[in-house]
Amino acid sequence: MSNASVVRHAFRVGARDYSTIFTWKTWLGAWFVRVLAQVAFFALVGRMLGSAERTQYLLVGNAVLLAGMVGMWAVNMVAWERSTGTLPLLAASPTHPAVVLASRGSYLVADATVSAAGALTVAGLLFGVPLPWARLPLALPVLVLVAGSAFCFATFAGGLLLGFRSAQPIVTNVAVVTLMALCGVDVPVDVYPAPVRWVSSVLPVTHGLRAIRLILGPAPAWEPILVQAAWEALVGAGWLAVCLLSFHAIVRRGRRRGTLDHSS
Amino acid sequence: MPVSTTPRPALRGPGPSEHPGDPAQATLESLGRSVGAPAPGTAPAVEVTDLVREFTRRRKSPARALNGLTLSVPEGEVHGLLGPNGAGKTTLVRILSTVLLPTAGRAAVCGHDVVREDRAVRRLVGVVFGGDRGLYTRLTARENLEFWGALQKVPARLLRARSSELLDRLGLAEVADRRVEGYSRGMRQRLHLARGLVGEARVLFLDEPTMGMDPVAAREFRTLIGELRGEGRTIVLATHDMAEAQALCDRVSFVRDGEVVATRSPHALTDLAAGVEFDDLDDAALALLTDLPGVTEVTVGQGTTRVRTDSEEALSSVLATAVGQGATRMRTLQPTLEDVYVQLIGDRGLKV
Repeated sequence: MSNASVVRHAFRVGARDYSTIFTWKTWLGAWFVRVLAQVAFFALVGRMLGSAERTQYLLVGNAVLLAGMVGMWAVNMVAWERSTGTLPLLAASPTHPAVVLASRGSYLVADATVSAAGALTVAGLLFGVPLPWARLPLALPVLVLVAGSAFCFATFAGGLLLGFRSAQPIVTNVAVVTLMALCGVDVPVDVYPAPVRWVSSVLPVTHGLRAIRLILGPAPAWEPILVQAAWEALVGAGWLAVCLLSFHAIVRRGRRRGTLDHSS
Repeated sequence: MPVSTTPRPALRGPGPSEHPGDPAQATLESLGRSVGAPAPGTAPAVEVTDLVREFTRRRKSPARALNGLTLSVPEGEVHGLLGPNGAGKTTLVRILSTVLLPTAGRAAVCGHDVVREDRAVRRLVGVVFGGDRGLYTRLTARENLEFWGALQKVPARLLRARSSELLDRLGLAEVADRRVEGYSRGMRQRLHLARGLVGEARVLFLDEPTMGMDPVAAREFRTLIGELRGEGRTIVLATHDMAEAQALCDRVSFVRDGEVVATRSPHALTDLAAGVEFDDLDDAALALLTDLPGVTEVTVGQGTTRVRTDSEEALSSVLATAVGQGATRMRTLQPTLEDVYVQLIGDRGLKV
C-alpha cells in the first residue's frame, strides 16, 4: 500500500478530531467570529489613523496571518499523538511517523485557507476596502502555500517541544506574534535591520503575504507574484525537510531514551 | 499404604516442533509482499543474546531493566514471559518491537537485527501493548483498523475485508461502526488485538493482552490464541496471569531482575515445584528429608509437613525416605505455575 493511502487515512483521523471540536454552526458562530474580530481590530486601527491605504494594509496582512496562525496549531498535534499512546505504535509500524503526522494535521491547511479567505472577504466588505474581487480567487493558492509552510514549521516546532508539553501553548502564541511582527503583517519588513529581514525571509507568511499584496494591488505584475509564491513554497519545503529530518532524530532519540510513550 | 495422589496437570498441546510450515508467510507472499525475511524455519522467530537495557536517571546511577537476558523462541511457538512488575518483560517486548533500543547485546526477529534492520522487523511483527491507550477514540473500530492496516502496508483491496473479518473474529462486528470513545476497556483491548493482527504479523508480541477483559472475553481470547498458533504464528505473551500462561503457552520463561531464570514447558516447570504433604512425619524423618538433595522447601504446619523439591527425582527420593521412616499418610501436591512462580521469583510482596 502506498503512502497515498496512509495520507488519506491519517487525514481522516485529523478531520474526525476536528469535527468533534467544530460543527459548521460552531465554526461560523464562534471560530469565524473570533478571527473576523481579530482582523477587524487591526483594520479599525487603520481606520483610526485616517488612511484607507493603511486600513487595507492591516486588513490584508492580518487576514493572511490567519492562514499562518491556524497552521501553527500543529505544534500541539505531536503532543496529542503521544498523550493518546499512539506514538510508540506509529514508531513500531513500517510507515515513518512523520508521514502520518504531516497527513494527520493537513486538515489545518484547509481550515487555515478557508478562515483567511473568509476573513479577507467579509472584513473587506465590512470596511468597504476596495479589493479587486475578481482577483481574489488567485490569492487562494497562495493562502494554501502560506498555511502549508506554517504547518510544516509548526510540526517541526511541535516535535522539538515533545518533552515540554506545558510550554506548547506559550510557544504557539509567541510564534504567532513573531509572525505578526516580523513577516510584514502590520509593519513592512523593510523597516527592520538586515539580520531581522533575513530571519523574516525564512519564516512562513512573509513571501506569501507579499504575493497576495501584489495580487490585490492596483497593478499586479505576474512575475514578481510568482517569484514570491515560489519563495513561500520553497520556505515551506525547507521546513518540511527540516521537519522530516527532525522527526527521524526524535524517533531515534525516543527509542534510545525510551521516551516515545511518555504521556506528558 | 494409604497414599492418596492427585493427578498431574494434563500435558499441553503440540509443542513447537509439531507446528508444520508457516501459513502466515504463505499469506504474506500471496499478498505480493516481500518481507525480506529468511525462509520459515531457518531462524528462530526471536533470538535474544545477552541483552542489556539501562535507563538513565537524574543524579542516580542508571537503572538496569535488562541484565544480560538471553532467550530463543522458535517459529510457531506460543511463549510466555512471566515475572513481577519491573522484571523487564515490557522492556524486552519494546526492544523486540523496535520501539526501544538495547544498551548492549543482540536481539533479532526472524533473523533480522532489531537495531540494524528495524524496518524489516516492523513488517514482520504485530504489537499489542497493555492498557487501553493507543487507539484513535474518535474513529470507529473499523476506521482504526483500516488506519493501522494502511500503516502496515496492507493492500487496499484486502484491507477492508481483513478488517471486517478481524472485527467479526474479535466479537466487535456489531459495534464496528461506533466510535471507540464509547467502548469499554475490554472492547478496546480486543480492538488492540485486532490492530496487532491486521498486518498479518508473523510474530505477535502481546503485553498483558487480557488486562481489563471480562472472564468470557478472556476465554474467547485464549481460543483465539489457539487459532493463531494453528496458523503458524509465533506469539510472545507477557503476562501476570498464571492460568493464562499455563493454558496458552508451549513454553514459559520466568524473568527476574532483567534475566531469564528458567525456560521450560509449563508441565516441566511445575516439576520444579513438585512436592508432597505428610500427615504423620516425626522429627527424625523431618531432619532426614530436610537434608536430602533437591529439597527446596520444608514447611511444618498444624499436623502436616509440606516438602517441595526441584525435580521428579528429588521427589522420589523424598517419598522413599519418608516411607522408610514409617510415614504412611501422604499426598502429592499438584504444583501450579503460581507455585513455580513463587519459588523462582520469591515472595516480593508489593515491592517492584
